Amino acid sequence: MESKLTRRRFLTRLGTGAFTVTGLAGTGLLAGLGSAGEAAACVRPPGALLEDDFLATCIRCGRCTDACPNRCITPFTKEAGSELALTPGARQFGTPVIFPRRKACMLCNGEPGDKLLCTDACPTGALIPTLKTPEAIQEGVHMGTAVVDTTICYSFNGASCGACVRACPFEGEALSAGLWERPIVDPSACVGCGLCERSCVHYPQAIRIVPRPRDWSVAS
Amino acid sequence: MRLPQVRRLQVVRHCVQLTVLLSLFLIPTIARYQNYVSAREADRVIEKWQGTLAGGVIASVDSVFRALPGGETERAGSMQRNRQRIGRYTHQVRGSVWSADIGPVSLTDPLAAAESVVGSRHFPWVLAVGLVIPVLVTMLLGRVFCSWVCPAGLLFEITDALRGVLRFLEINPRNLRMARGTKYGMLAAGLLLTFVVAAPVLGYIYPPAVLSREIHDFVFATFDRAEHGRFGFWVGGMSWMAVVMLTIVAIELFVSRRWWCRYVCPGGGLYSLLGAARPVRVKLRHESCTDCALCVAACPIGLNPMKNQMGIECDNCGACISSCNDAALGYGLGVHQSASIDSDGTDETLAEDAA
Repeated sequence: MESKLTRRRFLTRLGTGAFTVTGLAGTGLLAGLGSAGEAAACVRPPGALLEDDFLATCIRCGRCTDACPNRCITPFTKEAGSELALTPGARQFGTPVIFPRRKACMLCNGEPGDKLLCTDACPTGALIPTLKTPEAIQEGVHMGTAVVDTTICYSFNGASCGACVRACPFEGEALSAGLWERPIVDPSACVGCGLCERSCVHYPQAIRIVPRPRDWSVAS
Repeated sequence: MRLPQVRRLQVVRHCVQLTVLLSLFLIPTIARYQNYVSAREADRVIEKWQGTLAGGVIASVDSVFRALPGGETERAGSMQRNRQRIGRYTHQVRGSVWSADIGPVSLTDPLAAAESVVGSRHFPWVLAVGLVIPVLVTMLLGRVFCSWVCPAGLLFEITDALRGVLRFLEINPRNLRMARGTKYGMLAAGLLLTFVVAAPVLGYIYPPAVLSREIHDFVFATFDRAEHGRFGFWVGGMSWMAVVMLTIVAIELFVSRRWWCRYVCPGGGLYSLLGAARPVRVKLRHESCTDCALCVAACPIGLNPMKNQMGIECDNCGACISSCNDAALGYGLGVHQSASIDSDGTDETLAEDAA
């Protein structure tokens, strides 16, 4: 059946090869260009691997997005980030992200199941399955850390508010109230759920989640 | 050994494909409906959005939920409970054809898994759990994902039918041939690129993944817009991946018949390799064959059933079986077959010109 190499067949194969090479080179270029500007640090869903591992492991299927009972997880697209002036890099495009100011993670409080639903839904292990117990959440969830801007926080400026302290799921551990209900963050206990940022009555928010840095590790 | 014939096989297959495509729209829609129910907003949303597309969709989902057993209750409190209870069942089906959850069963596209493993240099157990069923089914039945599940496959079949319309209008679409090996080149090069940039790249051009994602984002964007008081049809939420899809459709329509599935698809390549030794195959009964070549024209993958040359790429769609007037073709058991992947013979050209 295998016939001789006709001119037609030769040209077809040549074209095919050229197509493959150019197509992939183009895609590669796109990815390369994008990763150059990939600065947007963002809050990942609970149990996420470190950013570089996460970007390599996540297949952008959106199962965690659908599983989230609070709909706080959204795919990182240009439109999704535009409101907060965040642009996804090429490798980050379509990955799940949380914008706590819009909607924060409520750690699946009151939902069925014994695991955080997004981690349970993840097919690749990019989100490590995490139990809903306080201990497991403290150990396995590190989305970011709350940081208070004392120049604008009401409690630091002659009023007494405490909204963020009462919103915190680890009240007294991660976030405790000082004099005049001033929020005091304990970075080692804060999981970065963002409920404080969401509840902040000041605009712009006086307490914000700073996503964990790229080279973050449990030890630090 | 010959397997019993399934009557109206193509109708059944197209129904399955349509169901999958419909689910891609329904899953995010019901998810959004459930969000409104959880927020006790459903009734308000239906009332407020009356007469709009988003409102109509939510209202019809709501009326279906009410019609289900246990859903029709007048008292507001129990209505809420019932909706949530039914929602718990509908929430069992999640995800898309790229990766899906159906009840306790997790299904992941082998291409997605391959990209995840190659990109992260790591093979977690969770991934293996989702792979069991797709890989086993593919090893047994071959590339059936392409013919029975892939929503892009359905889209391209429609495009293929449109080529007939073009021909009727005497705008003769070209039929450029490429080497079938291209898809394995795409697969290898894509995985190499995934390894280099440490992020999945094929998922951005692989039509089922692209369609799943774009449809999901489109549905969500429609409701997002509605929440901001903007109604009507808009392509918002779609990304450059939609342009990739449109390009493929244009090429299939004007340049090359079933171009993507035949020559380029890296996922099809992976499924072909996985199903290389499938026991369920299309078999030809030489003594019944009248050499009419109808099956050759019918084959969407561009193989030659008349020469019993299905190789590893046949997706067992059964289009050739349905096209055969002499009952010469049918599914059979047995691994043996000439396994040439580059079998674009000359008969196909003749048959297509005749058709």
